[in-house]
Amino acid sequence: MVMALRKRVMRILNENKWRYLGILVLIFLGSYTFIVAAGLAQNLANLVTTFTEEHRQEDLSFRADQVIPDREGLEEAAGAVIEEYLSFDAALSGTLTLRLLSATERLNTPAVIEGRALSGPEEILLDPAFAKANGYPVGSQIEAAGKTFTVAGYMSLPHYIYPLKNVNDILTSPQEFGVGVITREAFAGLVDAERIYAARFNDRTGSLNRQARELREHLRAEGITVSDWIDIMNNRRARLVWASITGMKTMSVPLPVAMFLISCLIIAIMFWRVIRRDAVIIGTLYAQGYRRRELTRHYMTIPLLLALAGGVIGSLLALPSIAPMVMGMVSYYNVPVPGVTINFLNVLAGILTPVLFLGLSSCLVIRTELRRSPAELMRGDRQKTKVNALERALKLERFRFSTKFKLREQFRSIPRLLFLFFGITSASVLMLFGFTAMNSMNRVFEASDVYQFEYEYSFQDLQFGAAPEGAEAFNAGKFYPENNEEMEFYIAGIEPDSRLITLKDLKGNPLPNNQTNITKPLADRMGIKAGDTVTFINKEDGKPYTFKIDAVAASYVEQFIYLPRAEFNAKMGLAENSYRGLFSTKKLAILGEKLSGFKDMSALPGAIDEFMGQLGSVVVMMTVVASVVALIIIYLVTSLLIEESRNTISLFKVFGYKRREIRSLILNSSTLVIVAGFIIGIPLAVASMGAVYGYLGKMINLVLPPVVNPLYVVIAFIVIMLTYQLSKALCAKSVERVAMSEALKAGTE
Amino acid sequence: MLIEVSGLKKSYTTGTVKTEVLKGVDLKLGKGEIGVILGPSGSGKSTLMNIIGGVDRADSGRVTVDGTEVTRLSDEELTEYRRAEIGFVFQFYNLIPNLTVGENIEVVANISKSPLNIGAVLQAVEMQEKKDRFPRELSGGEQQRIAIARAIVKNPKLLLGDEPTGALDYQTSRSILRLLQQVNKEFGTTILLITHNTAIAAMANRVFKLRSGKIVEEWVNQEVVPAERIEW
Repeated sequence: MVMALRKRVMRILNENKWRYLGILVLIFLGSYTFIVAAGLAQNLANLVTTFTEEHRQEDLSFRADQVIPDREGLEEAAGAVIEEYLSFDAALSGTLTLRLLSATERLNTPAVIEGRALSGPEEILLDPAFAKANGYPVGSQIEAAGKTFTVAGYMSLPHYIYPLKNVNDILTSPQEFGVGVITREAFAGLVDAERIYAARFNDRTGSLNRQARELREHLRAEGITVSDWIDIMNNRRARLVWASITGMKTMSVPLPVAMFLISCLIIAIMFWRVIRRDAVIIGTLYAQGYRRRELTRHYMTIPLLLALAGGVIGSLLALPSIAPMVMGMVSYYNVPVPGVTINFLNVLAGILTPVLFLGLSSCLVIRTELRRSPAELMRGDRQKTKVNALERALKLERFRFSTKFKLREQFRSIPRLLFLFFGITSASVLMLFGFTAMNSMNRVFEASDVYQFEYEYSFQDLQFGAAPEGAEAFNAGKFYPENNEEMEFYIAGIEPDSRLITLKDLKGNPLPNNQTNITKPLADRMGIKAGDTVTFINKEDGKPYTFKIDAVAASYVEQFIYLPRAEFNAKMGLAENSYRGLFSTKKLAILGEKLSGFKDMSALPGAIDEFMGQLGSVVVMMTVVASVVALIIIYLVTSLLIEESRNTISLFKVFGYKRREIRSLILNSSTLVIVAGFIIGIPLAVASMGAVYGYLGKMINLVLPPVVNPLYVVIAFIVIMLTYQLSKALCAKSVERVAMSEALKAGTE
Repeated sequence: MLIEVSGLKKSYTTGTVKTEVLKGVDLKLGKGEIGVILGPSGSGKSTLMNIIGGVDRADSGRVTVDGTEVTRLSDEELTEYRRAEIGFVFQFYNLIPNLTVGENIEVVANISKSPLNIGAVLQAVEMQEKKDRFPRELSGGEQQRIAIARAIVKNPKLLLGDEPTGALDYQTSRSILRLLQQVNKEFGTTILLITHNTAIAAMANRVFKLRSGKIVEEWVNQEVVPAERIEW
């Protein structure tokens, strides 16, 4: 390129520095988000896969009513590794529980992440979140189950990556629950310790369900009754981390791509304008012998420079952010981090994608313009007077002049209009996405008003007779649909006059418990409605059972079908007065060894507060990013609009329009588009959230409703409008700067 | 007198070079009259018109329009002055390309206290049929007619025309001049035109010859010629 033309590049950038800075930030945000999200997802996936493979994560666990007599024989028959371990919940205080697990050697082996391995029965390895929350540094001592242990180190366990107290919980709370590993000898004297079996199949590619069913049959043949059978696919302690990774992967592509596309579109539009405005100069250079490729190269310098600079800055800032973000995510889970790897292919993609996107689109625009003859270019009047078909079709007679003018200003450039519209919609979706997440989680926890009990007890063996005072008996089994073995849910028989399970229909009216009710998420997932007759397979005996659904209940946390206990027992061929668990409003005196599970609902609020706190900061971050994106987009469009309306603004001044009248006509012309973009953003946010939740729901067996609270919609709207006001304030000076002489001299140059 | 200009001076400084554009201009134009300022390029006619129209400021001297001393008005007062009293017609029409003919006229009607009926104005400039067209769909002469309609819709005391026929062919120019004369008669609007076309002087009541920032000749036309009879 000729030197003189090269000098122009910096001058053009300098003339509209804020505009180009805005574009640079958009590209930078896209590149940064992509590299960080992809790096985070890849690292987490690698860390989790390596950890679960090297430390041999179980495929399932269960409790047995007796010690398996011929474990080796069973292992051979079932094609699995089976290892027994002990578990004991030690109450450290009224609210703090430490689950002691015996160290294993073949499955779920602990990974020491700080300190050293156990060397004797007086030592313990702790889960780091628990140790940190409760002040147990390595080398300190901890009293648990009447014994004193020295903290030898911190560890991660492949079946407690997300250390939930109960497998059906949603949230962890290290202030209330943690896990520790001690030697098997240290369990001496702990008579209430539970014996749990973990199994891992040798065939890693075969159906887990089939192999599990076969193992179960072998156990039954040996006369062993099992309970608390938990597949790894339905174990949130192990699966929740995968939901996060999948979520991250899902988001790592569309969000940056959307930003790239927006940047690409605006740069294309802007350069189209710049070139049109430069038509006379281009025509003159063209006429004097400049080649098309020289001019193309000149006009592509700025988009390529911006794309490269944005991509490089984004990558440079993203690289050091990956490790702390991985650590931040991992601190939420319990996974050892031997190191964080950086994939340079991602970095390359982060830099080259904007270059490719913007290079191509700009090239297309420039080549299209340069197809015109030098004479035509030198006339330079095409842009000034052209009226598009939509402008022509608009019938605006009945509107006030200001409305007509604003509408015409917007419809003057369809790409500019689309850019503003989709830009605002994207920013609104991003913002509403965050708020919806918070709403949905809130709703999930609010919806737990279904459960009026404080404690839930699950027995190892079937119980008979009446429930203790203040408690209600229930029976439950795991089922799956005939055609989908991977799905799992509970069908529970409860008291027909239960006061501890209070279901409501979708309108909020109470539902009786003397009928068969299905919770809405489960009904939605399987396409079941009231009045349907459905057949499910019992996971325990593999037999089909048919149920007639009477109503759909508005519950979110769990996926359940509730029916009267007597009916459930009759169907399953169990004694009429039998039950496997109790719901209770007060603590019951039940011996620990009889129980296979115990849930304390009061442990939930603390965990919810902690989780909502974390979610809140994510929402704030998303709102800030969305606001920045919205601000840049509105600013870019408004400054473009001012640029293209300079003559009109100048004329208005000559005609005697006052400052505020001009500002109102020019700067407020985008209001309608912004409001429309925001409104369209609402259903889009709900739909995209629904899709993401649906996906996550399958991963962790939890359905989150995409809920939009009107208050948050109003807040999001206010944020968008404030952003709009800010960008108008930033652009107001540009309107002021347009001189009357521009109109007076128009056409004379 | 509607316009009284006395001792008007204006200079521009570019870098270290100071150019005196107006060197003490005196001029008077009566209510309802047509005035023509003749002069070659660079004589200062546009600057003079801009100061009278309130879009530029003088260095010294006085401009009074219908009793208002324009040279003493603040920026806000100048806006009000242009809004209420002045109509502008430009050489290159300056219509807003994405507004229809009707809407272009509305641009001015919208800020006027008692605008004329847009339909009546369009009828006066014989453009009623083209109300919904866009400027691009009109010829140069038609565009200038719309520009005149836009200027007169507020019923201004003074209509200023900067080379209103400068971009038009002979026949079209004559029809535009005829229109201006008709507006002057029909609405009683005082008109001040600047041009380098000496033939146009024949349709004016008063003629001012400007050269190098000074009025070098000034005369009153005893016999105003109808525009259709002007030839050049």
